[in-house]
Amino acid sequence: MDRKTPLEKALIYLTALVVGVIFLFPLYIALSSAFKPDIDMFARPPVWIFRPIWDNFIALFTVRRFQDNIWNSTVVATGSTVLSVFVGSLAAYALTRLKHPRMKDVAFWILSIRMFPPIAVVIPYYILLRDIGLLDTPWALILVYSTGNIPLTVWLMRGFFQGVPESLEEAAQVDGHGVWAIFWRVALPLAAPGLAVCAMFCFIFSWNEFLFAFMLTSSKTQTVTVAVMSFWSSDAIEWGRIMAGSIVIVIPVIIFVFACQRFLVKGLTMGSVK
Amino acid sequence: MADYARRRSLKIAGIFLLPALVVLFVTTIFPLLYSFNLSFRQFNLAKPFIPRIFVGLQNYKTLLQDNGFYHSLFVTFKVMVVAISVEFVLGFALALLLTQKLRGMGFIRTLFMIPMMMSSIVVSLIWLFLYFPGMGYLNYFLNFLHVADVPWITGENVALYSIALVDIWQWTPFVMLGIAAGLQSLPQEPLEAAMVDGNSRLQVLTHLTIPQLKPILASLFFLRAIDCFKIYDVIFVLTKGGPGDSTESLSFYIYREGFTLWQMGFGAAASFVALIIMTVLITLFIRTIKEEEPRAA
Repeated sequence: MDRKTPLEKALIYLTALVVGVIFLFPLYIALSSAFKPDIDMFARPPVWIFRPIWDNFIALFTVRRFQDNIWNSTVVATGSTVLSVFVGSLAAYALTRLKHPRMKDVAFWILSIRMFPPIAVVIPYYILLRDIGLLDTPWALILVYSTGNIPLTVWLMRGFFQGVPESLEEAAQVDGHGVWAIFWRVALPLAAPGLAVCAMFCFIFSWNEFLFAFMLTSSKTQTVTVAVMSFWSSDAIEWGRIMAGSIVIVIPVIIFVFACQRFLVKGLTMGSVK
Repeated sequence: MADYARRRSLKIAGIFLLPALVVLFVTTIFPLLYSFNLSFRQFNLAKPFIPRIFVGLQNYKTLLQDNGFYHSLFVTFKVMVVAISVEFVLGFALALLLTQKLRGMGFIRTLFMIPMMMSSIVVSLIWLFLYFPGMGYLNYFLNFLHVADVPWITGENVALYSIALVDIWQWTPFVMLGIAAGLQSLPQEPLEAAMVDGNSRLQVLTHLTIPQLKPILASLFFLRAIDCFKIYDVIFVLTKGGPGDSTESLSFYIYREGFTLWQMGFGAAASFVALIIMTVLITLFIRTIKEEEPRAA
């Protein structure tokens, strides 16, 4: 609408810059500390210019065997993602194509599940999983994470399936294809970008989760978030390893943010903000 | 004929719903029923040989007579109020700033997205490093400006605000992006017309923009409230509920009763009270977005 004067432009950029610097400061501290020797970690005044060293990362992967935790987290996150995206997109398809008035209530019931406080179900999960012998196995976390990931997939995919024109499906119907074939060959390929977005969301949420992983697993299936907390023991806080581990945990998150930025708001609000 | 066949085949599609419903039933309703039953029993997981005696409403009675429970509710709501109000004020201001049509704004907005997708454990550990008593960066900067140390996580009157600040850092961008998405979806003509009519920017904002954004603001508010109500990870890392019990939120109270004292029956009862409060928030949220739904479909 209104043309901005150079002064206004400069002010806007300056404000954005100041806010950005303050905002990114904690991330910068984490990143730089990961590359500092322990002796410089809390040096006063802080060492702003230093030669980055890889010692913390080397210790992370040798002394701490962080790769085992990365493997555990990857298994759990992939398992839950596959289960949730498969089951969730089937359900989302049914919810968009069935015109029964009750379908909306089902969709909202599924949505409400995602918002339940984890602490309220962790006690029964703990006892039940212990009784059936799944405690401290990847299956425990795969199942538990899917409780949150299925509703997310259902709601995101609902939006994508609503965008697939039903006339295409009717044409396939006339050609004699069944429901499964239409879903698999017509609807799903057209909603493929949605599948990718859902998969990434499910993966990141499972990768980041702490409370369930902390309560429902011990050493055997320790995930990355639990492992990084364990570098803080009763006798020492290994800051170098904590920061190096944190950076490793954040790497997939950054890739995800740049890949999915257009869908981020939608994913975090379940489409309630368009 | 084709129509009949289509309706029949769509009915089959109903079967598509089944796997999801089965998984969700097994992972939610079943544990909840189990936990409901448990909340009427005395059950100490550290002493599994003692039978789970039925004690009726005893757990609920103890809970409702426990000052610690009310205190934890108060702490939870205090964090919610502090964090959410700052997030909305800051978020709105930043949204106005970053929706300006200037080069590079898109990239800046993307940078802002990183913290909210980070694991809350990682975020909390980074802030613990900044807050750390005696050596943290924040106190270093304060000293640099000749201000005395702030007991970020060790001061009984400060710790709660330090926890809220972590939430503000992580989630203001979310509120900002939500509002920015809303701002960009508003029709521009009425706003321009109002400006031409000689209204000030502030008048346009308060009389036109904000009322139109109401549904979005409401749903963002409930999403934040629901999330904030569950606050656990930040407290677990920064203060473990302390100093004293000054930062013991409801989630942390349940954790302490259930898992460090192994009072599973009592923990289950407290969980149910948390669930009831949560259900109210979720219902309000769903009511807000239900009004928006028909327009979207």
